[in-house]
Amino acid sequence: MHAKGVIRTLLAGTAAIVSAGTAMAQTAPGPAGTAAGTTVTNTAQASYLVNGVQQSATSNAATFVVDRKVNLTVATNQPANTQVSVGQAGAVLTFKVTNNTNGIQDFLLSTSQTPIQGLFTGDNFDVTNIKVFVDSNGNGTYDSGVDTATYINELGADQSAIVFIVADVPNVQAVSLAGVTLIAQVAAGGDAAAQGAALVPSLLANDDNAVDVVFADNDSDGLGPDIASNGYGRAALGYEITTRNVNLTVTKSSVVISDPVSGLLLPKAIPGAVVQYCLVVNNATLLVPASNINLTDIIPANTTYQPGSITIGGLGVGGACVLNGFPANDDGSAIPLTPFTGSYNAGTKKVTATIPTLLGGTSVAASFRVTIN
Amino acid sequence: MITRPMTAAVLVATAAAASAAAGPLQVSSSILVEARSAAPDGTTRVTLVKPTKVTPGDKVIFVLAYRNSGAQPLANVVLDNPLPRQIAYRSANPGSPAPDVSVDGKTYGSLATLRVRSPDGSTRAASPNDVTSVRWRLASPLAAGSQGQFAFQAVLK
Repeated sequence: MHAKGVIRTLLAGTAAIVSAGTAMAQTAPGPAGTAAGTTVTNTAQASYLVNGVQQSATSNAATFVVDRKVNLTVATNQPANTQVSVGQAGAVLTFKVTNNTNGIQDFLLSTSQTPIQGLFTGDNFDVTNIKVFVDSNGNGTYDSGVDTATYINELGADQSAIVFIVADVPNVQAVSLAGVTLIAQVAAGGDAAAQGAALVPSLLANDDNAVDVVFADNDSDGLGPDIASNGYGRAALGYEITTRNVNLTVTKSSVVISDPVSGLLLPKAIPGAVVQYCLVVNNATLLVPASNINLTDIIPANTTYQPGSITIGGLGVGGACVLNGFPANDDGSAIPLTPFTGSYNAGTKKVTATIPTLLGGTSVAASFRVTIN
Repeated sequence: MITRPMTAAVLVATAAAASAAAGPLQVSSSILVEARSAAPDGTTRVTLVKPTKVTPGDKVIFVLAYRNSGAQPLANVVLDNPLPRQIAYRSANPGSPAPDVSVDGKTYGSLATLRVRSPDGSTRAASPNDVTSVRWRLASPLAAGSQGQFAFQAVLK
């Protein structure tokens, strides 16, 4: 191969047949097209008869140098936003940068947390300690300490690289969504050991013998800051808070409702007396609702659960139930007109009350009754 | 395979000899691109200029100019332009006669008459992308001192 290549180069200026490349099947260029810097040479030949004698002629060789058509694609490489918890460190977003330039390029990487119009509604915080790394081993997963390169080095035409944004989520309860944009900029390739300088388009008239830079990238973000033909590409992903810590407390109290001797008047805790237990759950974290609260309590020994006595959604003050809530069915079915469910398991003697949502700064009470054996 | 470069080398030698003999037929090849400018009458004027910035996908125009600089008429003039491999043929340039084209460098004809053999042995109709060479024949002898030109459009792969 090498020897033939040399011969072809030597002959390119004069021999039409050789420049045609008919000598061997050439691999077609990829979608990015003929590599920048390639010299395209055209030579024609003529044959004719003069006084019956066959003659031939060869034209001059017309040439031009293929210029650099700079293009890139930056895309998200995960199906949805990354779900994180408050205070999580080293949360990862994954992107893919593709070199659509007809040459080997470096890509400079940076980030922006400026909200993008219409893209991340509800963007209300910025992540901290934000870093950008390139996937070094091609496994598509961020490996801390392994994926350390901060720019894409020597990416071939039509090749892609996976890029990670790694950042910390602040320990603030009120946060919910942070949009982060990865910005890639096409830079000069050719130095395998260092980051190349950002490309700038050639403004001067073309020099046929030099490789000009022509920006051909699109506007990658619509209304966002990117514009067509600027050598930049952008894509955005969000950190979405799905797990928060709330300060949840449960206070339990009991009160004797009645006894067989005194009835409702100053009842005593004697056998046969009815005791009501009150569980008050309080969410002390303002603005952050608690989800899917399950209150469970196993009834005390030597007592018998009073069927149908569970109430949920009552008002509790200072750990005592001042108002009973909605009576629940013991089978766990939904209580009409409320989000609550309550159940009693006779086998385990466990009372369960489910409260789907408890808003920050509020409390809700649940109660049940037992009879002292 | 080894013999191919050798053959090419022989051809070069022949061509060089013919050139040295300063044959009567002068052939000039040039590569141009279209430049569009607004004409005073509101229309868009297309002129051919030297290639400025050419990147993959751009249209380029190949022009072959010929002239009989000798004293004798030249018969059976054939102009053959194998395409550089980075170039995909599109069509004759407006105003130029259509060339015969070839997809294998051997058989020439109009594109519609040519077929391409696939690796599996089947054949399909040739498309402009398959063209590897274009050729024009002058139907009548080229008188002494007369000249002309052919041109075709192509794109950079």
